[in-house]
Amino acid sequence: MKLRGFIGVLFLAALSACDSQTIETRPFVRGSWHQLLAAHADKPTIVHFWGLTCAPCLTELPHWAEMQRDRPGMNVVMIASDPASEDTEELTATLAEAKLNNVESWAFADAFHEKLRFEIDPTWRGEMPRTMLIGRDGKARVMSGVADLQEIRNWYDAQTKS
Amino acid sequence: MKHLSIIASALLFAGMAVAADHGDHKPANCAETSLTCADKATPFFAADGALWLAWSANGRVAVQKSTDLGRTFTSAVFVNETEKLDGGADGRPQITVDRSGRATVAYTIAKDSHYSGQVMVTWSDNPLKGFGGAQKLTADTASQRFVSFGLDGDGRVFAAWIDKRNLVAAEKAGQKYAGAALAFAWAGPGQDFAPPRIAKDNTCECCRIGIAFAGPKKPVVIWRHLYDGGVRDHAVTTFNDGLPGPVYRVAVDKWKIDACPHQGPSIAVGGNGTYHATWFTGGSAREGVFYARSLDGGRTFSAPLQIGDNSRQPSRPYVLTNGSAVWLVWKEFDGDQSVVYGMQSRDDGVTWSTPKALANTTDASDHPLLIRSGEKVFLSWLTHKEGYRLMALEGAL
Repeated sequence: MKLRGFIGVLFLAALSACDSQTIETRPFVRGSWHQLLAAHADKPTIVHFWGLTCAPCLTELPHWAEMQRDRPGMNVVMIASDPASEDTEELTATLAEAKLNNVESWAFADAFHEKLRFEIDPTWRGEMPRTMLIGRDGKARVMSGVADLQEIRNWYDAQTKS
Repeated sequence: MKHLSIIASALLFAGMAVAADHGDHKPANCAETSLTCADKATPFFAADGALWLAWSANGRVAVQKSTDLGRTFTSAVFVNETEKLDGGADGRPQITVDRSGRATVAYTIAKDSHYSGQVMVTWSDNPLKGFGGAQKLTADTASQRFVSFGLDGDGRVFAAWIDKRNLVAAEKAGQKYAGAALAFAWAGPGQDFAPPRIAKDNTCECCRIGIAFAGPKKPVVIWRHLYDGGVRDHAVTTFNDGLPGPVYRVAVDKWKIDACPHQGPSIAVGGNGTYHATWFTGGSAREGVFYARSLDGGRTFSAPLQIGDNSRQPSRPYVLTNGSAVWLVWKEFDGDQSVVYGMQSRDDGVTWSTPKALANTTDASDHPLLIRSGEKVFLSWLTHKEGYRLMALEGAL
């Protein structure tokens, strides 16, 4: 019985450890952006647009994981915005492989990409990676291309101080 | 506009079929492997005036032929079993059909989880009967993507693509290498492709390549290059006797970005040898869609002319010539509709007509393409809602 109890505790521990590392990639469709903004209102939020077909995106993923480790409370939303509709399992696995365990993950799931991009930012033509820093006041700052993570850290620190 | 009457009506009907919602995460996608559900369709006019389409839908690539300018098509001939295709916005199946009726088709599969591509090629001397099993264009294992075809005046197939073999080799040797390379291969009439060669190192990794011909064995190739400091501006080279010539910069846009723009250029050569180039940039010198012409084989280009309304995301420009006439089309999006605009020059690109809206859609769409059969120029556009459209531009612009 004792052994069984011990195994049970181990099992539960394993489960919860698994739990905290489970990323679920949600479909990003028309209207998702407004839903996402509403859910993150009043919180400094970092939205990162990436994709499996984007080589610079994949190179920088592990650095994002490092940043998250030194800023544990940081709200990070990853949106896979590749022109191809991507396998959500593969996206999730790629995030996990980069040790990005504590992120909200979405993937473009509507072939009308112009519409999805327009809802997010009418000036965005689809180049990736792209990062949006959305402040407490709802104002967004856009970083096109590979982002300077020190700049993001500084922005986040200033946001959480005030 | 009243002349835009050549529409693939047979396909409009098919295009109206509503995709069943299977409860997966692709509400707007169709599940069929048919032109109705295709995401990309590449047209080619054979010398006999027949229109050939190579399209991709749900992991399959197929070919169809129309002898009535896209009103009706033969049934689809598939060239592969279901594979994971390269879904990049600028990756599309390629097709040429030579005078003997031999078709060459290429497409790119995603060969691993990091979207390394593999270009596959297949041939048929009787394409409506079927194709042989597709083969790898090259035995090299590094990534190949964005293959583009051109058929020269003597029936040779020219293929150009973005290749990572030199990147892989540099990494193995512990050296740094920026971007990828422009690779090419030739297939003589009735022959397989000769071994590929690298035309130029350090190209951008994720954009389509534009090809036109200055003569047989003389393709003019335009691509997004990776200049010093990570600047992704456009470059052009003219092949001579099948081999690449000097590389010239089309414009100094100064788009310094460590990112995948997923937007490649287009080029055409006029009757008197004028080069007409069009491209998208987000550079610090200029942003948006631009056109420029070269009177000296690409050495120098005119000052870039801004195309389209920058507040409506102009994108995907495409250019085509017939003698001194030049057509340019591109896509804009206003928040609800994607609209294809076009304009025409009758004086070799010196002056242009006022842009006109040619077609629109309120859902996903492929890039607008231009294609010529004899003296007639057409817009070829595949849209999710309406299906495939081929529109004669005579009198429309």
